[in-house]
Amino acid sequence: MLAYIGRRALLAVFTVWAISVLSFAIIQLPPGDYVTSYIAQMASMGSVVSDEEAQNLRIQYGLGQPIYVQYLKWMKLMVVGNFGMSMEWRRPVTEVIGDRLWLTIVVALASLLLTWVLALPIGIYSAVRQYSPGDYVATFIGFIGLAVPNFLLALVILYFGFVFFNANIGGLFTPDFQDAPWGLAKVWDLAKHLPVPALILGLAGTAQQIRIMRANLLDELRKPYVVTARSKGLSELRVILKYPVRVALNPFASTIGYTLPYIVSGSIIVSLVLGLPTVGPLLLKALIAQDMFLAGTIVLLLGVMTVIGTLISDILLVWVDPRIRLEET
Amino acid sequence: MSKCRRKVQIRTVRSRLTVVLVAAILCGAIAAGALAQSAGKSTLIGKLEGPEVVTDPARFPKSFSESPQLTALVKAGKLPPVAERVGQDPLVIKPLKEIGKYGGMWRAGFTGPADFWNGFRCCSGPDHLMFWDYTGDKVVPNLAKGLEMQDGGKTWLVHLRRGMKWSDGKPFTADDFVFWFEDIYRNKDLVPTPSATLAINGKQGVIEKVDTYTVRYKFPEPYFMLPDVLAGSTELAGQMWGYRAMGGFAPAHYLKQFLPKYVKAEELDKKVKDAKFDSWVRLFLNRNDWAVNPDLPVLSPWKTVTPINTPTWTLERNPYSVFVDTAGNQLPYIDKVVLTLAENLEVLNLRAIAGEYDYASRHVDLGKLPVFIENQQKGNYKVHLDPGDYCDLIIKFNLNYDADPEIGKWFNTADFRRALSLGIDRDQINETFWLGTGTPGSVVPVDSNKYNPGPQYRKLWATLDVKKANEMLDKIGLAKKDAEGYRLRADGKGRLRIEIMTLGAQFVQYTQISEMIREQWKKIGIDLKVQEVERSLALKRTAANEQQLGAWNNDGSEHLFTFPLHVFPFEVDAVSSSGPLYAKWFQSGGTQGKEPEPRMKEMMEKWKKAFGVPEKERIALGKEVWKIAAEEVYIIGVVGQGPAAMGVRVVKNNMGNIPARMYNSPDGKTPGVSRPATFYWKN
Repeated sequence: MLAYIGRRALLAVFTVWAISVLSFAIIQLPPGDYVTSYIAQMASMGSVVSDEEAQNLRIQYGLGQPIYVQYLKWMKLMVVGNFGMSMEWRRPVTEVIGDRLWLTIVVALASLLLTWVLALPIGIYSAVRQYSPGDYVATFIGFIGLAVPNFLLALVILYFGFVFFNANIGGLFTPDFQDAPWGLAKVWDLAKHLPVPALILGLAGTAQQIRIMRANLLDELRKPYVVTARSKGLSELRVILKYPVRVALNPFASTIGYTLPYIVSGSIIVSLVLGLPTVGPLLLKALIAQDMFLAGTIVLLLGVMTVIGTLISDILLVWVDPRIRLEET
Repeated sequence: MSKCRRKVQIRTVRSRLTVVLVAAILCGAIAAGALAQSAGKSTLIGKLEGPEVVTDPARFPKSFSESPQLTALVKAGKLPPVAERVGQDPLVIKPLKEIGKYGGMWRAGFTGPADFWNGFRCCSGPDHLMFWDYTGDKVVPNLAKGLEMQDGGKTWLVHLRRGMKWSDGKPFTADDFVFWFEDIYRNKDLVPTPSATLAINGKQGVIEKVDTYTVRYKFPEPYFMLPDVLAGSTELAGQMWGYRAMGGFAPAHYLKQFLPKYVKAEELDKKVKDAKFDSWVRLFLNRNDWAVNPDLPVLSPWKTVTPINTPTWTLERNPYSVFVDTAGNQLPYIDKVVLTLAENLEVLNLRAIAGEYDYASRHVDLGKLPVFIENQQKGNYKVHLDPGDYCDLIIKFNLNYDADPEIGKWFNTADFRRALSLGIDRDQINETFWLGTGTPGSVVPVDSNKYNPGPQYRKLWATLDVKKANEMLDKIGLAKKDAEGYRLRADGKGRLRIEIMTLGAQFVQYTQISEMIREQWKKIGIDLKVQEVERSLALKRTAANEQQLGAWNNDGSEHLFTFPLHVFPFEVDAVSSSGPLYAKWFQSGGTQGKEPEPRMKEMMEKWKKAFGVPEKERIALGKEVWKIAAEEVYIIGVVGQGPAAMGVRVVKNNMGNIPARMYNSPDGKTPGVSRPATFYWKN
């Protein structure tokens, strides 16, 4: 078991390094650099940046150096926990991301929780009562949830929220609480704003998980051991929950791998539409402005999250499903 | 069987078309209905009006008062009395309608750290030495008490206000100008290229101290344009340019601590490291940024409290503001301006529609005008339109295009450019995208502009005349057409295809409008390809001379001499250009790039000459520049004088001193030209 985790961890370190190289390379791909996008932005506001000034900016930001030098510089900074300075925000990258990270995690956890709380029981019910009216209703809603693009849903909900309930448009706080120090009132304000984004973000996931749960459980329910259990006179609830559901849970555990990065980046488009102060829109803006340290750090963070997530789900799987343990030895 | 299927197909195509058409008509009808409901354009566009700067000492207030917030601080001994704070010569502004009341908050939105113009426009005062009156036509004193011309325009004396102070209470004097000039402007690390605004005919001027409250600008040649340059949104105009080391003045007492000249190397190094910057230059520019540094002493009525790189950009009243009303009340009336970060423009617009902003015009989308009007009552606001004096959509021909010599040749043929301009149905575009609020026409500014060459130039080569356009194209050698009716290239290499480069997510819907022009040009046999690109790519392609046509607006060009970017190729790094090599030639004084064709050269020379001649001659030269622009059609004007660029204004009903219509331009820092410091809450 320990050797297994150790091997995985070692692999993870190597993967993270590879991701850092890749993310740096990806950010260099689009034409131009931060200074080009800065000049373009100045030009669209009607002011001129001279060639010399642009050159000077490139020197100040170190953009003129070869890519590998820039990469090494970034690496050197990162090792000491300094992720560089965001060019657009003119603040350290750690601060810029840090501002938003906690809210991002709160939103994502809320949507994750909602997904599981809804998906598990509905999925089990659908499988056990296959082809019952309840199953049809759940399936129907599930397909709608899968088919409707969630950013569209976000727009619709935003509009109706405004027209019928006079709700605040977007964001996670009422304006009065935006800058207020954290306190019970602010947390309550956040809690009031949370359900809508959580629901929208979680809906597609919920539908998907319902389908997966239903399909897996159906497979299991037909297996001889279930029949045996029933014939031995176990109560129906116990028959289902003790074994088939546990087996069917495997996919849930393995999805954690991509749930973690999702926690950080959220769904960028939905966050944009809902005006959520999360990391997703920040990443988009950083990419557009070619703010490479900020974009690089977020992409790297996503990579690290995926790696850690995968590691956790591997461990979880081993724990949930003894068969995997057996195969390993 | 197959016939049957085909019929069905045709029917579906047709029915789809019908659906689209019906939808389009419905949208149009709703929009028109909403406009009609509010009695249309006439009530939305009011009379141009605004506050006034009082220069007659007889009308100056004798005593001063202040916000109750500040009175409390004075009583607590934390601030000197108001008369001491505003100094002996405060800047007196006569509010548009009435003397206001103190208090309240102004809520608006912004889109992130790149949106700094937002706050400069609303809250910087503006802090220019000189500024425009509400018409945007006349230069009036502002932070400076006055300008005095000497030596035939070669020397200018700036008279400062006695006893005026920075927001930290330290005096604002000639030393702040000399400091900026000697220690910032002349420091090669901070300013690698001297500014063209501080030079005449390429020769740099100097700034000197005469006495505490007098500054001297000295130039080797007459510089009659200087008052306009100080008033316009140029690099010499105020602290908004501090983030790139310009501005014309800077708080010496505060900034010295970040300059190697005044601080020991180790000490500065430590400061740079502590702030996590790479170099002292970055640290200095960050500390000299009006929007980013709350500690920076400023001269504006409001000052940044929480910076622009956080979720809310908050500005609070400057206790040492030099602005007062005619009754002696220190301005601003409103205590606090709060700009909240909107992650995207849709959210910003929806918030404005919901009445969550008190005053908004930046980023407000003209396309949503009907929805804004519909929600006026519910949101307790009123919609005003502030049409600009310029063109909202222009199309630039790149005269230097040489990747395809045939296309380059046509771009350099005046009749080709004119014919293309005649092939545009401007009325249709105006109705569709401006809801009829714009004015179709050529590139020349509004008729009332002092550089406007005459009303006949509005329509010159700028009406729809398909027949004439076809004749002209036939005549210049493009008579042959292919089976689909598109004109063939003269070199026998197939169809003549030209490409227009557009940018998305701008104030004007360049891409969608270009698509409509594409349809319209089919009638004159021109095949246009519309290509929307990301802005960095646009810049790169323009710089590499790969752009053919470019769509943009010429906002600001009504101030021809402070804002010539969209009149002739002026800047090298542009998102759309009518000749990158010409621009290089112009900027390098003829040593690089390519010499322009005679008419273009004439335009550039006249523009340059105007800086050194008295106003009357300058106006004549300006008219000639616009004449050439309209005659040669280097740039096609499509629809202008509309509210597309920041001209849809949504203001709460109980906000006072709001003009019915205001001058809308980057040079006027609109709404800065209406002096937001005089806006107030009626209840």
